[in-house]
Amino acid sequence: MKLEILKEIIKKKEKKSEFAIVTNLTTGESAIYEEGKSLSKNFKKFTSQINTFFQLKKNGTIEDTDIFIESYIRPIKVIVVGAVHIAQYLVNYAKNLNLEITIIDPRGYFASEQRFPNIKIINKWPNEAFAEIKTDKNTALIALTHDPKIDDPALQHAIKNNFFYIGALGSKKTHANRCSRLKESNYTENQIKRIFGPIGIKLGGKSAPEIALSIIAQLVSEIYKK
Amino acid sequence: MKNSFDEKVLEEANDWIKANKKVVLATVVQTWGSSPRPAGSRMIVNENGDFSGSVSGGCVESAVVKECFEILKNNKLFKKIEFKVSNESAWEVGLACGGEIEVYLEQIN
Repeated sequence: MKLEILKEIIKKKEKKSEFAIVTNLTTGESAIYEEGKSLSKNFKKFTSQINTFFQLKKNGTIEDTDIFIESYIRPIKVIVVGAVHIAQYLVNYAKNLNLEITIIDPRGYFASEQRFPNIKIINKWPNEAFAEIKTDKNTALIALTHDPKIDDPALQHAIKNNFFYIGALGSKKTHANRCSRLKESNYTENQIKRIFGPIGIKLGGKSAPEIALSIIAQLVSEIYKK
Repeated sequence: MKNSFDEKVLEEANDWIKANKKVVLATVVQTWGSSPRPAGSRMIVNENGDFSGSVSGGCVESAVVKECFEILKNNKLFKKIEFKVSNESAWEVGLACGGEIEVYLEQIN
């Protein structure tokens, strides 16, 4: 692989764009494929097969050829509401999993650069913050403040935008109260049931890193259910 | 939904190159049977014998490092190698799982 191609790949990954690496295993030639852009002449005749792999987000060799394709997709976006202690551990686990984290917390003393170095923090109320970020059905929400005035608007946004994972921290009682508030705001039973509460898989641990681990484990398992 | 859990091997390759190391990239391009890692799995090797990432569960990595050394020594650009089921009675490199993998080695130049 040419160094310039390697550098281009890293740049595209940083920009969170979707692309594929195409390699001819007989000649050693490689190139980057992007939807709608034309390939160099040696790869051009395989464009439609390459695009099929790319659309399916698959890696593999085109049948009866020596053309190998590796597809890259955008990292999954995770919105954490509450720049609390658990969030500090979540951020560390997420780094290894290549999840793209954004933290929302209107409380400036929590959401500081010093507590979350190199993490995107929006120091605003959820409704204002969501106006700034693009979210869709490939986004996850982890609500950690257990303060209704911060968590609830975020949960409502996640339900309305059909996030693939919605979890909220808090005891069974806190969650029951949360569910009744959402019901009063005319959310349906099915919509409310989409929230994982209390959040996380049962590990038994009560410390902040253990709770963060149980949340990340649940999030990853949900990714594979979609 | 497909995951996007990327292992950052290419970024590390770039860091090695910046530190003036020669780097060979090994990629699983084809698998048969119950192979340990899927197509697209990667590892990198430099001329000092440092390696990072993986193409199997530890079964064939040592052989991949040796092959990568050969590529650097002969200044070849690329090579394809296959690993098959190992013979349990012999001290040879292979996949104990019963799978087969094809690994593509390429020098970053």
